[in-house]
Amino acid sequence: MQLVDLGLAPYREVLQLQLASVDRIVDGYESESRCFLVEHPPVVTLGKRGGEQYLGVQESFLKERHIDIVSTGRGGFITYHAPGQLVAYPLLRLRSYGISVHEYVFLLEEAMIRTAASFNVAAHRDERNAGVWCADKKLGSIGIAIRHGVTYHGLALNVDLDLEPFSWLSPCGLSGVAMTSISEQAEPHVCVGDVKSYLGQYLQELLTGQIK
Amino acid sequence: MKELDELILPDDIRYSADHEWARIEDEFAYIGISDFAQDQLGDIVFVDMPEVGDSFDQGDEFGSLESVKAVSEMYMPLSGEVVEINEDLSESPELLNADPYENWIIKIRMEDLEDYDQLLDAEAYLESLEE
Repeated sequence: MQLVDLGLAPYREVLQLQLASVDRIVDGYESESRCFLVEHPPVVTLGKRGGEQYLGVQESFLKERHIDIVSTGRGGFITYHAPGQLVAYPLLRLRSYGISVHEYVFLLEEAMIRTAASFNVAAHRDERNAGVWCADKKLGSIGIAIRHGVTYHGLALNVDLDLEPFSWLSPCGLSGVAMTSISEQAEPHVCVGDVKSYLGQYLQELLTGQIK
Repeated sequence: MKELDELILPDDIRYSADHEWARIEDEFAYIGISDFAQDQLGDIVFVDMPEVGDSFDQGDEFGSLESVKAVSEMYMPLSGEVVEINEDLSESPELLNADPYENWIIKIRMEDLEDYDQLLDAEAYLESLEE
């Protein structure tokens, strides 16, 4: 799987890039799996089933802060992205890796758990919700979509960002859930640049182990 | 995850490469997802269905299934117009995991009966899964 570092890039642009890449993989023009690693300027995104009902502030409140709201086709409900959060979008044909959808979600969680552990942060799964947690705070989220067997969207791992905007919504449709970040849990301070190579490497290792 | 020889694949219906099935009744067809599809997805929590009266061509996306944090698109195995949707799935999407053949998703009026002949029989579908 090829890792593609997009740096800081707007959500809508990266979504278009994902959709174009998925179509090329589906049509057989591109066979190689790839994973986009990116940070997004502040944006609120909704899942296939929406999630507006979990937004606790007016849309005008977000507009004043130049925060876009984007409807998407991924799983899950509402969430928030901003610089300091590392987002990974693996685009791959699940059948080539011989894994099911729920095994893939498990593997994305595993990559986040191992990445956090590399910075001495103990993260774990929680049956309340997919994603990874530190005690009762959420560290990383998952929302994926599948087109003709090819995955897109992916995971978001909080590394070092202002967590206050998450209080404007109920992330993933869970009320009363606080978010946390690796830098809030770890000493010394950790930034996205430190974490990126670990996450990319764990995703590659875990997926390569599955190739059939 | 089920082994291929554990999959239930009735031989009175036909399958598409995208893991949908179709069962013909006069000029109508019931459409659903295969045992392989429900097993791959895991617990289905939401079914996004089209509306009665919507028309689709073979291969078009007609809806989606959400399992834990994952949305998977569904594609028409046949061309036609939706005449009924399975309302039970709105309340109980997990029925698709329990029995993906008893619980059809949409019923359509077929546009062209010959579409059905292009679909895979159970044996050919199983072979496509073994590839």
